Amino acid sequence: MKSQYFYKSVLALAILGLASCKPSAESVNTVVPNKGNADFSRYIAVGNSLTSGYADGGLYLDGQKNSFPLMIAEQMKTVGGGSFSTAFFQDSQSDGSGYKYIAGFNADGTPKIADQNTHTAVRGQVTIPGFGNVTLFTKYTGDLNNYGVPGIKLAHITYAPYGNLNGFYERLLPGNAGTNNTKYLDFVTAKPFTFFSMWLGNNDILGYATGGGVGDVPTPKGDFAALYNLAVSTLKKGGTGGAGAKGVVATIPDVTATAYFRTVTLASILATVHASSGGAAVENIYIQPASGPARPATAADLFILPLGSAGLIGKADPKGPYGLSPYNPIENKYVLDKDEVAIVNDYVASYNATIRSVAAANDLAIMDANAMLKEYGSGKVVNGAVVSGAYITGNLFSLDGVHLTPMGYAITANGFINAINAKYGSSIPIVDVTKYRGVKFP
Amino acid sequence: MKKILLSFLMVIPVWGFSQSFQVNLQGQKQTAMGGAGTGVAMDEASVFFNPGAVSFLKQNGVQGGVNGIMLKTAFSQTGSNLTEHNQNKLPTPFAAYAVFGSPENRLRFGIGVYTPFGGAMHWDPNWTGKYAVTSLDLQAIYIQPTLSLKISDNIGIGGGLVYSLGKVDLQRAIPITLNNGESSTAQLKGTSKDFGWNAGIYVKTLSGISIGLTHRSKVNATVKDGDANFNIPDALRSTFPTKFNATLPLPATSTLGFGFYPSEKTTIALDINWVQWHVYKDLSFDYDNNARIPDTHSPRNYKDAATFRLGIENKANSFLALRAGIGYALTPVNDGYVTPEVPDANRLLLSAGIGLKPSERFGVDFSFLYENVLARSGTNIETGLSGTFKTVAYIPGVALSYKF
Repeated sequence: MKSQYFYKSVLALAILGLASCKPSAESVNTVVPNKGNADFSRYIAVGNSLTSGYADGGLYLDGQKNSFPLMIAEQMKTVGGGSFSTAFFQDSQSDGSGYKYIAGFNADGTPKIADQNTHTAVRGQVTIPGFGNVTLFTKYTGDLNNYGVPGIKLAHITYAPYGNLNGFYERLLPGNAGTNNTKYLDFVTAKPFTFFSMWLGNNDILGYATGGGVGDVPTPKGDFAALYNLAVSTLKKGGTGGAGAKGVVATIPDVTATAYFRTVTLASILATVHASSGGAAVENIYIQPASGPARPATAADLFILPLGSAGLIGKADPKGPYGLSPYNPIENKYVLDKDEVAIVNDYVASYNATIRSVAAANDLAIMDANAMLKEYGSGKVVNGAVVSGAYITGNLFSLDGVHLTPMGYAITANGFINAINAKYGSSIPIVDVTKYRGVKFP
Repeated sequence: MKKILLSFLMVIPVWGFSQSFQVNLQGQKQTAMGGAGTGVAMDEASVFFNPGAVSFLKQNGVQGGVNGIMLKTAFSQTGSNLTEHNQNKLPTPFAAYAVFGSPENRLRFGIGVYTPFGGAMHWDPNWTGKYAVTSLDLQAIYIQPTLSLKISDNIGIGGGLVYSLGKVDLQRAIPITLNNGESSTAQLKGTSKDFGWNAGIYVKTLSGISIGLTHRSKVNATVKDGDANFNIPDALRSTFPTKFNATLPLPATSTLGFGFYPSEKTTIALDINWVQWHVYKDLSFDYDNNARIPDTHSPRNYKDAATFRLGIENKANSFLALRAGIGYALTPVNDGYVTPEVPDANRLLLSAGIGLKPSERFGVDFSFLYENVLARSGTNIETGLSGTFKTVAYIPGVALSYKF
């Protein structure tokens, strides 16, 4: 039957169509992975909390798994990168140092922040003479590529006893608490490597800023430059037994642009006071600046995030309600007054000038984290998702207001990848930012 | 016979593409001829292609047809080495027509039920563009009663009222992280009922060439009180909307068509469509609760665009007709406005088909249409989604017809 032949042909065509032929990858792909003139076979990440994956006020397993160096290393595998080890906390101790989460919201929309610390890796505490108490964590032994140590300053990298003062560093070292004398710079260069990222220097100014200018002091500019040169020249040798390494360094973000300093503002404090009973007529919020008498706050004075949940503003006192009277101003530790802001900005600018000149002199790639944070912090749409510096809702900063969300770290990873590709002629594929989360809501 | 036709009408989920979300699968003979058919009095599908030509049909008849659309889209984000594909769906748009009245009379009646707009695009729920869209199901079924009048032996006019039944289901992820670490999601779902019209004129010139000119009006598919279903953190639920209003303009289409008859057995049809896409300025959703999310106005800024269609039919014998066609559709989407629910670009259409007539009254027509949408790279100005889309479509179809 002639018609049967036609039915069969059409059926065959239809089946052919069903089975066929998605558009090929070549028809849409623009990236062919290529290592350019760099060697990514052993990549190490040198840095502080940002490198370790610290988030939500703690170092914990989920944060470690979303560290930007791990993301970069995954992408480097397409261009000859090797395995990449992180000092993961055990699954049974996945809360690590403990971290913060949102337990709910108050009627006024502010978050109720709670501590997650049921499965921490805390193994004890030790008192170091002349320093104080150090919390100790379960030791990590094994390969290491991510050398991020929360809290470390550039000023610490050649300080031999540092392993006794920082529990996050102590946990990576073989010796027991109090007996360590391995300089961080020696530790990270003990094995050969071919490529490094170094993002250090943030903590050299961060402690001063987050303490409202009280307590910590910025690392002197001259010391910073000398140590940065030393770190870079040492890392370029590629470690003990290495044959030289290429690398990428990053600038320091303007810490006063983080959610830590931009969430509690003069306007938000005044709005809360105006809404409280008897507060409608309040015109000024008084602060204690670093120098001089108490004075009314201006928009140029920045308040730190913890002031918002401290419950102090307007608290009754014989000297006058807290923050509303010149005789009972907001304490200096909660305020980075405009003079202190100027000091922070001056140091950040100086540090970044050093980082740029050392990177240029040593022919390294440079990731401008300061520019990146400004770009995203002021609001940017990423694949349809709005990212901004807004606390909790901005998807960029984690609950501590300084460290990043997994999405923020993914954006950071792409910043590094783009900088590496631009410098070394490589084509490391970027990370899909949309695969990573922001702050978890209850 | 009626049962068979009814069964086609039951195949309700109906979607496809031809130019952006316009579907051009309204007759198997015409589809096999590159989608041309406005300037020829081919069959009952003239109810859609040119109501003016209906009065020139030599026989009354009824037909029903269906297509299966295999749409394959690939996307690669700029800077990524990964390729993402849309999910396999098989939308089945249908078209059914009937023409009544005495062929000797000047006045004829027709009715058509067809799907001129639709789309079914499904991506992985966690794909790169999830915050733009994860799936879109869109459909407009037009029901069109038609009158056609032969005002002279050479000129026919016709027109019909269009009753449009629309359905939309749009889903996307929202960049708010649930407690389990996944993204929140939104589903916007609604229906519309609107009116429009279709009119045409058909002229048989003395030189033997036939000419058709038609216009199908714009229909504003208006969704009122559609369901806005949000899967969001419980703490935020009271701040999110539950209902929305939206309007999607389904653009007017004007077509100039020609029919050439080089021999008794051969028909050549040439159509030029002009689709007034400029009416699609934005996709806006008006929510009933703006405590957390404002009403959205996503710019589309489409431009009017033409499609060129050329087809040929050769009646090999009384049993068999062979058809082939080619077309080229210009995209209405400007650079910077390409979206993953309709990753449109200029496209090449190639078609072929056969018609069988086992008996004097009964006919079966098969068509196969291949669409090659050119690869298109760019960055969407609203979402920042940057990358390259490439789409091909394989569309087989079949129709049964009965003359009376």
